[in-house]
Amino acid sequence: MLRLALRNILRQPGRAGLTLAAIALGVASLVMSGGFVADILRQLRDATIHSQLGHLQIYKAGQFESGGNRPLEFLIDDPAAVQRAVASVPGVVVQGQRLAFSGLLGNGHGELPVLGEGVEADAESRIGQAFSMLTGRQLASGDTSGAVIGEGVAAAMKLKVGDRINLVVSTREGATNALDFDVVGVFRSLSKEYDARAVRIPLKAAQELTDTRGVTAIVVLLNDTDATDAARAAIEHALPPGFEVKTWLDLAEFYTSTAALYERQFGFLQVIILVMVLLSVANAVNMTLHERIPEFGIMRALGRTGRDVFALAVVETSALGAVGALVGVVIGVLLAVIISAVGIPMAPPPNSESGFTAGIRVVPWILGAAFASGLVATVAAALLPARHLARIPVVEALRRGV
Amino acid sequence: MLVRVENVSKQYMVGEQPVTALNRINLNIEEGVFMAIAGPSGSGKSTLLNLIGCIDTPSSGKIHIAGRDVSGRTPDDLARLRGRSIGFIFQTFNLLPVLSAEENVEYPLLQFKELSVADRRDRVRHYLKMVGLADFGRHRPNQLSGGQRQRVAIARALAIRPKIILADEPTANLDHRTGARILRLMRRINRKTGATFVFSTHDKRVIDMADRRVDLEDGEIVRLGVRKAKHEWGFALERAEDDYDDDEETVDAADE
Repeated sequence: MLRLALRNILRQPGRAGLTLAAIALGVASLVMSGGFVADILRQLRDATIHSQLGHLQIYKAGQFESGGNRPLEFLIDDPAAVQRAVASVPGVVVQGQRLAFSGLLGNGHGELPVLGEGVEADAESRIGQAFSMLTGRQLASGDTSGAVIGEGVAAAMKLKVGDRINLVVSTREGATNALDFDVVGVFRSLSKEYDARAVRIPLKAAQELTDTRGVTAIVVLLNDTDATDAARAAIEHALPPGFEVKTWLDLAEFYTSTAALYERQFGFLQVIILVMVLLSVANAVNMTLHERIPEFGIMRALGRTGRDVFALAVVETSALGAVGALVGVVIGVLLAVIISAVGIPMAPPPNSESGFTAGIRVVPWILGAAFASGLVATVAAALLPARHLARIPVVEALRRGV
Repeated sequence: MLVRVENVSKQYMVGEQPVTALNRINLNIEEGVFMAIAGPSGSGKSTLLNLIGCIDTPSSGKIHIAGRDVSGRTPDDLARLRGRSIGFIFQTFNLLPVLSAEENVEYPLLQFKELSVADRRDRVRHYLKMVGLADFGRHRPNQLSGGQRQRVAIARALAIRPKIILADEPTANLDHRTGARILRLMRRINRKTGATFVFSTHDKRVIDMADRRVDLEDGEIVRLGVRKAKHEWGFALERAEDDYDDDEETVDAADE
């Protein structure tokens, strides 16, 4: 049966080619659209991790439940001890201490409520690789009174690099404290909302400003994002009680909502592509089988049962589907490589000012799913015509050949 | 009796109009006979062959093949019966285009699980040789002439060693000389192997090669003949001329 099926496929290269083209183009479209979505989500994920969040953040227990509004009440008093425990976990690349505070930013002309962070410049330069500086530079390890501010803060307060700002905060004990800083850079992160309120200063300066020696969080960067959950478990195991460990996904509201939006949009697009694949393949398969009704009539006249004819038609189209899907995967991968080399300029995601260049990622499970979709669509498309072939009266089938 | 057709009728619909293709046909076909079913186009020849060949079912009546009533059988049962007992030769040859001549002959034998590959191949070679195509086994149908294709079809029909071979206008798509050769070949095989041949035709020269004839008109048997000598038939049944006169008068009256 397989020999007969293969010969039937090869007999009319034009007709088989048309069906193959319909399957291959559909599968290639699925490979590319899937790879495109995967690339966007991967870039968004990496940007989220490398602009602010790191892979993991360690807090004093209770801070997260408090909504993060009173960070100074949940200080990690001995961050070095925590870092020693975390360093023993495999895959940890770098750790950075952060001290979050809220206060007022003034420049002599006005004031703006801000969310401040004291950071370790060296660690942040490795964690925040996706942080884009619009003007000026990142904080450096030698900075003592430098500050980087979000794009929105700069716009609201009409600040530029070199300007002097004053930060006023309340200490944990309730006293008011103030320090002056020089703006050394203006940054843009993924989140427009964050950029409208964010100020970053050296950790030591933040501790002086808030009159504390503790930190509010330790940010951990791993060498493999996929190992995040395992690392979290290992860190939780390594730390004494009283701490909580959050993954980047727990903290990335922006990523979660944007990814959900993209998945909905592109998911709908992929459904449309899938329907188009199914329809075009169904059309090609239907045409092919319909033309050959007399042949199937001969087979049945010669003693083949309807079941035999059904099986032959399905085997034949399955073979076509497998070859077409394979060709589609190869075409999809080639196009993905070529298009990725050129790049696709993308508009900023919602609530972001940062555009980016997308590519088409070659993801094994997407290749597998596209192949399976092409094959299943072809087989599904063959079922009804094959059933018709199996049931059409022999005389009627033979008459079509006259 | 190899085939017994009992009071068989066949009606079908053309649009909403019922058409009677065969009307209460009774016919017996003995084993080893070389029988022509004659009649003009639309007389019901092909329908009768299709019913005997079990590729169509009668609207009423019964057909017995080798003593077994085939009415009420499932399509799969009929397919198995065709595969084992009935050989077909079609007007348009109906060879499978992707298969070579020998593969076409072998195709119906693939259902004979009791045959070894070697036996199957031997049988294919035997029948291709019988129809004079021993050297054309590897040719595809499109590499063969019309006459050669029909020979392949004959070999294919013979290969299953059927109880009966049905040929629907086997010479209609061939030139006269090739058609005559094909008929002579069929007849020679009939004489040599005793295979039963029933073929439909409206060609008088072809009819004269048969040893029995059934004449159909408008779905009814009008004559049953047995050949006595060359071009000489003795008719066991002949419908009276009066049957036609009534119709002619009606037509004449309508014209007036």
